[in-house]
Amino acid sequence: MEHSEGADLMLRVMRIAAWPLLVKVPVLAAGLMITGAATISQVVFWQFAQDQESNLRALTDAYLDGLSAAVLPGLIRRDVWEVFEALDGSRSRYAGIEPRYAIVALPDDKVLVASDPRRFRLNSPLPGDLLRWFGAEDGLRVDAQAGRAWMARTVRSEGFPVGRLFAEIDIAELLRARRQILLALVAVNGCLTLTFALGGYFALKRMLRPLSVLMCYVERVRNGSVEPIPEGYQGRIAHEFGQLFDRFNAMARAVSERQTLASQLAEREKYAMLGRLASGMAHEVNNPLGGILNAIDTIQAHGNDPVVLQTSLDFLKRGLAGIRNVARAALVTYKGGSDTSLLTPTDLDDLPFLVQHETGIRRLHLDWGNRISEPLEVEGPAVRQITLNLLLNACAASPVGGTVAVTASCANEMLQITVVDEGPGLPENMAALLNQAASATAGSQENKGLGLWMTGHLIHRLGGHAEVEYPPVGTRIVVTLPVVSREMLDAAE
Amino acid sequence: VAKAGEESFRFGLTPVFLDNDMTLLSLLQAYLAQQLRRPVELLKRRTQGEIWVMLRSGQLDAAWICDLTYVQHQERLALLAVPLYHGRPLYETYVIVNKASDAKTFDDLHGTVHAFSDPDSTSGYLITCWMLTLRQAVPGRFFRNVFFTYSHRNTIRAVANGLAESGSVDGYVWDVMKEKEPDLVERTRIVFRSEPLGFPPIVALNISRDRPDTQRLAAALLAMTSHDLGREVLSMLTLDGFTPASPDLYDSTAQKWNIVRAQI
Repeated sequence: MEHSEGADLMLRVMRIAAWPLLVKVPVLAAGLMITGAATISQVVFWQFAQDQESNLRALTDAYLDGLSAAVLPGLIRRDVWEVFEALDGSRSRYAGIEPRYAIVALPDDKVLVASDPRRFRLNSPLPGDLLRWFGAEDGLRVDAQAGRAWMARTVRSEGFPVGRLFAEIDIAELLRARRQILLALVAVNGCLTLTFALGGYFALKRMLRPLSVLMCYVERVRNGSVEPIPEGYQGRIAHEFGQLFDRFNAMARAVSERQTLASQLAEREKYAMLGRLASGMAHEVNNPLGGILNAIDTIQAHGNDPVVLQTSLDFLKRGLAGIRNVARAALVTYKGGSDTSLLTPTDLDDLPFLVQHETGIRRLHLDWGNRISEPLEVEGPAVRQITLNLLLNACAASPVGGTVAVTASCANEMLQITVVDEGPGLPENMAALLNQAASATAGSQENKGLGLWMTGHLIHRLGGHAEVEYPPVGTRIVVTLPVVSREMLDAAE
Repeated sequence: VAKAGEESFRFGLTPVFLDNDMTLLSLLQAYLAQQLRRPVELLKRRTQGEIWVMLRSGQLDAAWICDLTYVQHQERLALLAVPLYHGRPLYETYVIVNKASDAKTFDDLHGTVHAFSDPDSTSGYLITCWMLTLRQAVPGRFFRNVFFTYSHRNTIRAVANGLAESGSVDGYVWDVMKEKEPDLVERTRIVFRSEPLGFPPIVALNISRDRPDTQRLAAALLAMTSHDLGREVLSMLTLDGFTPASPDLYDSTAQKWNIVRAQI
């Protein structure tokens, strides 16, 4: 699992196109600078190495020229001392050359004399390395690792070879200078590149800051909060971003206005619904009230008859109980219960009383199935409002004499409320309101969707979602809301 | 006082002494010019042979030569003065080796690379050849290799640097260099000292002996200890002064030369 996540992250990092602009542009600039600096350093260093080698050749040539001229007279006469004197005197005569030894050899490859006579004895054969490297040729051999260079030169008199000159010189200082230059190049270029890359990064970050601000405000829109970008930002940004901010703010203002309008419409709808409920309730109160008054009349007229009295009192009691139920349901719904953070089974059970007027006039059969057996940690009034809205919608949509079914159940810490009607089917654009954030499309055409829009807003606030299904007849709406069970609450406490 | 435009007195020098010391040469030149009351030109040559040829051909008025050169041309040369070293007109020949050498005696030098000073030098050639003659040997076969340095100082350098494993030098030069250049000389060791021999003399051709300048030169050398400049020169040369000498001072050298010459 971890390996898979790591691979995903790796893939994302590898996809340069997916990098943020804020990283991509400075990295690109830094990459170009590093490439440029590396190329320039390479060229400069290569040129320096070439110059140094060329200088070394010139120096060694000058050294050998001078030495050849110095040893030639003695070499012709094979005068050991004179040649030694020439070699000895040349030790410190050549600036820039640090000879380790010089050998003057005869044409038969025997040492006539060397500057280090103990190492290269008179008349001894030349060292094998020198013969192997140079053979009968003249030349220069450089061993950078050892910090040494060797050279060979044939000494001629009137065109005839009279001997050969070999020398080993110490070029460690030369190579050290080369290394120092390389290090200096790397250090200076590295520092400059890093400085420019960091400068570029921060400059671009500053230039792209308005984009971050815009993204932040767009993200807020996604979360339901539509705010214009404050004017304070406008003065500090480029013209293009200013235009973008202006357009965003215009859009934010329009959305905000729509939201306000939708809120106002929702409020009106709420009052309208309240009016309908109130008239329904009045009807529900009025119906038993007629019976109650009849019962009282009967008691007054035939109160002496115990059977009639008992029957009338029972009727009176049922009528008053019905009025009490309606009044209690209205009270709980619009005034709020004692604990708004809990949903008790009875919070839902009295909803049928609130809609009995709707069901009554349409002669609907309400199939009520509340399977909640314990209090749930969820906002009770909001759940009641969601259920009531859906129930009212279902009643309105169902044909006369139809059936409306409501079930409420809780499993796996999810509260599920299902409302089924036998209506023509909820239009899809209306159904979409249930799952849209409040700010996105506040209200809809002809205010018909305000109830659903409010329901969707509440579902969204509680962190739930709604599914709208279309069985062969009617509509089935399933609302799922997260809850914390009482057992878990107790355990936590 | 030397007069301007006057012809110089030409005095020849060979590496019988420390001829590489420019301060010494300038002081010697100044002293001689002062005493001779005329310009003095010091002429240095690499070999004894060159100086003898210049003297013989009139290119030199006088010269400080090796005792062997004097012995070789004694009949044509007049002794003007001889240096006093440690109070005597004598010096020794040293045969030296590198300090790292195992050689203890002259015979241990067999098969070594040997440095001579000059074929016309007593200490730098003759004595070693005489020793070999006594052993019925010659340098070319006794030594593995030989070469000439044309200076006692160079012979010491050659042995000290390892270019030569042994060398024949003037004992006076070796002693003086030991004080002046101890780092160099201490890398060498003496394996043989000769008997005392007549010190290299200052000579002129017999035919010039009685010339005033020649006489003034002899007088200047003999009176060197009486003058500040002269004493300074002597001090630098580590000599006690100059003395008149008779030819028999060089009899021993002549005898050895004759022995060697007979074999050659």
